[in-house]
Amino acid sequence: MLEIIKPGLETSIQDFPGRIGYWDQGFPPSGPMDSWSFRLANILVGNDAGAPGLEAQFMGPTIKFQQDGVIALTGAEMMSKLDGEEIPNWQSISVKAGQTLVMGPALKGSRGYLAVVGGIDAPDWLGAASTFHKASVGGIDGSAIKAGQVLPVKAGQGQAGRKVKEACRPQFARDKKWQIEAVAGPNDDWIDAAGHEQFLSYEWKLEARSDRTGYRLDGPDWTFTEKATNKPPENGEFPSNIIDQGYPLGAINLCGQKPIILVNDGPSMGGFICPYTVPSAAFWKLGQIKPNEFLCFSRVSVEEAQALRIALDDMCGESSIET
Amino acid sequence: MIFDEPNFSPGGDRYITVEFGNEMNLELNFMAQGLAGALRESGTKGLVESAPCFASLLVHYEPRDISYGDMVTELQSLCNSLGSTDEIELDSRLFTFETLYLDPWTKECIDDYREKINSDKEYDPDFVARLNGLEDRHQLVRVHSNSEYWVASLGFWPGLPFLQPLDPRAMITCPKYNPPRTWTPQGAVGMGGSASSIYPVATPGGYQLFGRTPVPIWDPSKRFDAFDGDIVLFRPGDRIKFQPVTRDAYDDAERKIEEGSYIYNIVEYQKFSVRNYKNWINKLDKSERF
Repeated sequence: MLEIIKPGLETSIQDFPGRIGYWDQGFPPSGPMDSWSFRLANILVGNDAGAPGLEAQFMGPTIKFQQDGVIALTGAEMMSKLDGEEIPNWQSISVKAGQTLVMGPALKGSRGYLAVVGGIDAPDWLGAASTFHKASVGGIDGSAIKAGQVLPVKAGQGQAGRKVKEACRPQFARDKKWQIEAVAGPNDDWIDAAGHEQFLSYEWKLEARSDRTGYRLDGPDWTFTEKATNKPPENGEFPSNIIDQGYPLGAINLCGQKPIILVNDGPSMGGFICPYTVPSAAFWKLGQIKPNEFLCFSRVSVEEAQALRIALDDMCGESSIET
Repeated sequence: MIFDEPNFSPGGDRYITVEFGNEMNLELNFMAQGLAGALRESGTKGLVESAPCFASLLVHYEPRDISYGDMVTELQSLCNSLGSTDEIELDSRLFTFETLYLDPWTKECIDDYREKINSDKEYDPDFVARLNGLEDRHQLVRVHSNSEYWVASLGFWPGLPFLQPLDPRAMITCPKYNPPRTWTPQGAVGMGGSASSIYPVATPGGYQLFGRTPVPIWDPSKRFDAFDGDIVLFRPGDRIKFQPVTRDAYDDAERKIEEGSYIYNIVEYQKFSVRNYKNWINKLDKSERF
């Protein structure tokens, strides 16, 4: 059992891959933004890679353990301390009943993950424990964790002293510039050559008004092909308007002139074009970038993006662990 | 237009958008839902899910199990096997919803918007009636409530249905609010563009409002069997009928909902035949209004 002393900033229960299979009813998958770090935290403590754990954002929670166990911290560096002693990320650690974990502000990266042996015992909401707080669904009670709450934990067997190999940890950007892969489509033919050139060369700034539903990018206006300017009126008045369509997760959605990357809690459909899509293997970077840092997009093919996904999935397993 | 061949385009490493055309035409949605059904039944390895929208279908697949090229080939072959749209038959449940048109709650919401955001905003039912050449708000109620509505897709908020009238004599259009409202009562019934909807919960919104239903379409605490274990009521391909009721009947339904004794009016034995639908449409004088 985990007793929440301080909740941090919208710390939530997430599992992987989240709530899959309800996109046609408008439900997003939710789940951890940086599933690379999240899955390795679970592997460290001996859980299934997708078991329910905590995602801390920008400012971590303070948690008192009510029973002995094994935990692991991954993702953002949050200066975490156990009973006042600093503890490292990327390795499994024994905790005793009565000890207190303080996860502080995110110094490097944005989101830190806590896995506990056995996993958090959260109810099943359409096949997943992941919290989607915009609609009050998932987690324990549909919302982020709260002070005073006690999170039940399933029984499990874990071992302290296991580490993620250095080469298997995500490398965060050092100069505030993140290289993000992007696949052209589904609506890339609405943007003209100059628009594509600009998208791929500009350093887009992440706006503070970004959250688990969408990442707003600050940058120049887009330019369009005739497909955007000469179309049946029911497509809408702006060049970037299209007859409402389903949105891929990761779509770079052009809302008027404002690009918004649709992430884990994003909308399933709407009436704006999506010229590019961030592939799943790059999502961990979105989970770790901070507001006012920069996104530099590089175009990859569908096949390259799929190879990256498969390589990442393969890395989220026992082969990445050393003892 | 309706494209001669559907257009396939990738959405990153795990989605494909299948576009059937670029106009608002129910036939395109029937094609999207027909393909969604055929895909479900095909048992295609690597299919995760699909989501129909007005004129397109979004397919979600697992690239470890199937390549982009193979999935496109599979989708093309399924499109070909569907044949003409006329051949499409879709399972379609019919829901009847008690609706209080011209209700006091959406009026209060509109009044609040007029007071705080735009004092020139015309009362929504009068505005929609005027734009569509109807006599008055009472004819709007008559026209709107005399068609079944087709759940073309769900989104914006989980469980929020985008509805198209199946009866062309009930086709009306209106712009959305600009700027949008900061709040809308749960159960509000309204429309924007040519789509009608029901607000599952109280949210901001932009549709013109003219009624309210007490019947929940969002049930996270799983109080009602009609949801069949789900949190949202509708699926694409359902149909909805708005049944105009008096304030007394509205209050009665609302009381039963609070008690948990409310009985959902759902018909589950019907299939929607595109051929039969088109035959019926062709017999109608589309310029008529109820």
